[in-house]
Amino acid sequence: MSNNRVTRRQFLTYTITGVGGFMAAGMLMPMVRFAIDPVLQTKAEGNLVLTSQKIADITDVPVKVDFTFEQTDGWYKSDVTEAAWVYHDGNEIVALSPVCKHLGCTVNWEGDPAHANQFFCACHAGRYEKNGKNVKGTPPLGPLDQYEVAEKDGYLMLGKKIANTFS
Amino acid sequence: MNFNVKDIEQFQTQKQFIDTAIVPLMQLNLSDEGMKQSSSAVEYLMTLTMFIEQQFRGRVMLMPPFSYTDRTKNELLPMQLQEELHSTGFKSVIFITCDHFWSKKNENLNVLWLPAIPLESMDKTVKQRILEDQLKQIIPVLTEAWV
Ligand code: FES
Repeated sequence: MSNNRVTRRQFLTYTITGVGGFMAAGMLMPMVRFAIDPVLQTKAEGNLVLTSQKIADITDVPVKVDFTFEQTDGWYKSDVTEAAWVYHDGNEIVALSPVCKHLGCTVNWEGDPAHANQFFCACHAGRYEKNGKNVKGTPPLGPLDQYEVAEKDGYLMLGKKIANTFS
Repeated sequence: MNFNVKDIEQFQTQKQFIDTAIVPLMQLNLSDEGMKQSSSAVEYLMTLTMFIEQQFRGRVMLMPPFSYTDRTKNELLPMQLQEELHSTGFKSVIFITCDHFWSKKNENLNVLWLPAIPLESMDKTVKQRILEDQLKQIIPVLTEAWV
């Protein structure tokens, strides 16, 4: 029976190994993290996302273009689908965010038959002109945001959200 | 809006605008045979209600799902929940469910029953199209509550 007992020497050895292990881990972890982090960060938001919208098909009438990207919120990764209203303005392509500047509902092009040529928010009857400018007297206090746009092999790419450039 | 601190803070200052609560009523089947189908319905209802929230977040508060099993199902509880939500300031309370049980007893509850669609087997674009289609069925229910 006494054979099974841990001697003082053994106890000390175990303890020191254990504590040493923790210390080593404590020193190594940040190093490993610093080494790996930059790699993880290349996936950060703000990169251009390729859509399935052909540039050639874009007219001067706004169409809704959906695009999906992966979002990480803490440990939680999810696919987020967002949309943009896209149209041709002269030579330029304009992509507007559909998020209403009042409280964030999704706006629709000509969503209200009574107001042609405007974006309409069904939540509290907010309205915007075609370039995203909010119509005075309706709840929104600012213009719709815009997306950076780019082209790849004839298809539309959408980038960061930026402030409306028309107002 | 979602039931999280950031959105609730906004809700409390904008109560006059965010006047509709949406409550998913979720049936859980924990039996061996029923579990998979049940999870598929849950997945569908979660995805759909999140989509509704994204489209109407300025007027709608999506509540955490109200879940129950066959044994814990109680007709009275949604009624009580509805009362409490009314007294919190929500003018309309809309329940959304895939459980047939609620489709019959809807005199005092505004219940929207939808058959579950197995989204798990679909690719992204099909899924998105189905969600948009489903949303089109839901919009009249919302606008009716809002007039
Ligand atoms: S959220 Fe668009 S008008 Fe209120």
